[in-house]
Amino acid sequence: MALLSLVHVDKRFGGVNALTDVGFQVEQDEILGLIGPNGAGKTTLLNCISGVFPLDGGSIHFAGQRISGLPPHRIARLGIGRTFQVVKPFLSMTVRENAAVGALFGASNLQPRLAFQAAEEVLELVGMAAKSGHAVGSLTIPDRKRLEVARALATKPRLLLLDEVMAGLNAVEVEEALDMVRTVHRSGVTIVLIEHVMKVVVGLCQRVVVLNFGQPLAAGTPEEVLRDERVIEAYLGEKYAARVRRAGG
Amino acid sequence: MPGSPGGSFSTRPDAGGRRLRRVLLAVFAVAVLLVLIAPLSTTDQADSLGLPVLVDKSQIRILTTIAMFVVMATAWNLVGGLTGYGAFGNVAFFGLGAYACAVLVDPHKLHLPMLAGIALAPIVPIAFAVLVGLPLLRLRSHYFSIATLGTAVAVGEVVKNVEYLGGANGLFPPIVRRGDLLFLYLMVAVAAIAVGSVYLVLRSRFGYGLIAIRENEDAAAVLGVNTTLYKVAAFALAAGLTGLAGAVFAVWNSFINQELGFSLDFNIQMILMAVVGGAGTLFGPVLGAILLELLLQALAGQGTVAVYAQIGLGLLLAVTVIFVPRGLVDFFGGSSRLSLGYLRRTLRETSV
Repeated sequence: MALLSLVHVDKRFGGVNALTDVGFQVEQDEILGLIGPNGAGKTTLLNCISGVFPLDGGSIHFAGQRISGLPPHRIARLGIGRTFQVVKPFLSMTVRENAAVGALFGASNLQPRLAFQAAEEVLELVGMAAKSGHAVGSLTIPDRKRLEVARALATKPRLLLLDEVMAGLNAVEVEEALDMVRTVHRSGVTIVLIEHVMKVVVGLCQRVVVLNFGQPLAAGTPEEVLRDERVIEAYLGEKYAARVRRAGG
Repeated sequence: MPGSPGGSFSTRPDAGGRRLRRVLLAVFAVAVLLVLIAPLSTTDQADSLGLPVLVDKSQIRILTTIAMFVVMATAWNLVGGLTGYGAFGNVAFFGLGAYACAVLVDPHKLHLPMLAGIALAPIVPIAFAVLVGLPLLRLRSHYFSIATLGTAVAVGEVVKNVEYLGGANGLFPPIVRRGDLLFLYLMVAVAAIAVGSVYLVLRSRFGYGLIAIRENEDAAAVLGVNTTLYKVAAFALAAGLTGLAGAVFAVWNSFINQELGFSLDFNIQMILMAVVGGAGTLFGPVLGAILLELLLQALAGQGTVAVYAQIGLGLLLAVTVIFVPRGLVDFFGGSSRLSLGYLRRTLRETSV
């Protein structure tokens, strides 16, 4: 049975249909990529899964339980962790304290003393152990993104939703971040990630779902999807797609 | 951050920590000493024992008032400092606690023993906090502040117009003879309960959850913090503590009316004390309450000086928020030497 399944998910903001009839499944232990042009509804979808937005239609199920309608903290408690595209660190806390808050709550739900131990372990996993005493304000952007992952991971999620953790990183930093995501995945966490960097999508994901104007456009392996004419059209426009078609054919 | 030696602000050098401890210890030592010698040296007892009068009745009254503000500033800190919700109507809890206690001990109403009245009175402000907290704590920043202020004023006006609560005349709990010391100790005990509560909160999952809400409520929620429950719980705990201080005040003063119970002066002073001392810290509000109340007492009752005291307080708040935004506790215990450099740095770090 799928770990996460979305069934006919609808989300509207006023008159705008942000998501229309979105349905797909995430299998245990896979890394699923969620791609699509800007404004396609990728982040909205993560917000719906993590309970930040209520649905206007359809339902979402996690590990056999309906989670749509539950508040965010209950969903976190069941084992879904997430990061934010624009990182939201607890600025007055140290790196260790940030991760410890994750371990205090979520599915982890540890007492303070144990939570700080768990925080150190998670920071080790994402390569931030050396900076655990640092103030968050002194961290670089790549480190803040790592911390965002560490904090989500500290909640002991079965499913981790990553919202553009590679955006804004240089080539070397992307390689490091790829390693980090692979390490997290090996530790037994199923991952759904939103990404624009195609190198990341191809390098990490077993399967990709493409969203366009809030609707699923295509799904399959990264290679299949990136060859799909509708996907090229959505990203680059009809003219370019036609040119690719001529050149290819 | 250019110009800030030693890097991050959360790793404080030992020297700063020691200086803070020394200042706090000195302040507490004086307070404790005054409380301890009080029984030996009230006017009555000193006269009968032939001892010099070290602490007279008016000074005991000041000490009790200080303890009362320690409670209110510390309780406000739970919501305004730790959770980051700028409550501006906590005096409603004080007034409700005071009125509840007055009703409970009134011989013509419920006629309970004094201590039972004090112990039960906080139930009313706690229930009120849960009731209004659920809708109000959905608001953020200044909307929340204005809504809490409006609520406090409204409750005061309602109380004033309820016949059973004495209307505009207020209520008169029975006078406790020679109760000065009793009430000093009661208020100090309530202050200890308040500070102890915040101490425990700061070390618990609850406390980390509140700080996470202050720092970023959305992130806190997806990490699994039940933000609604936590905010309402913090609000209710603050209400209970503030109400307890109000309850002691009612029997101590043996008179309570709308102006006293829902005093906007008290409302602002408790916030001022917490902010000046250091919002979000354990001892900041305590230090702020002691220093500001002493300052107020020094300036009060001298005719026009009282007016200047009000102006001075306003200026003090403005200066503190601009130059010492993390409070006196940070100023004395911060990572830097006491200097103009500190003021310049915090000004740069905290301005947008």
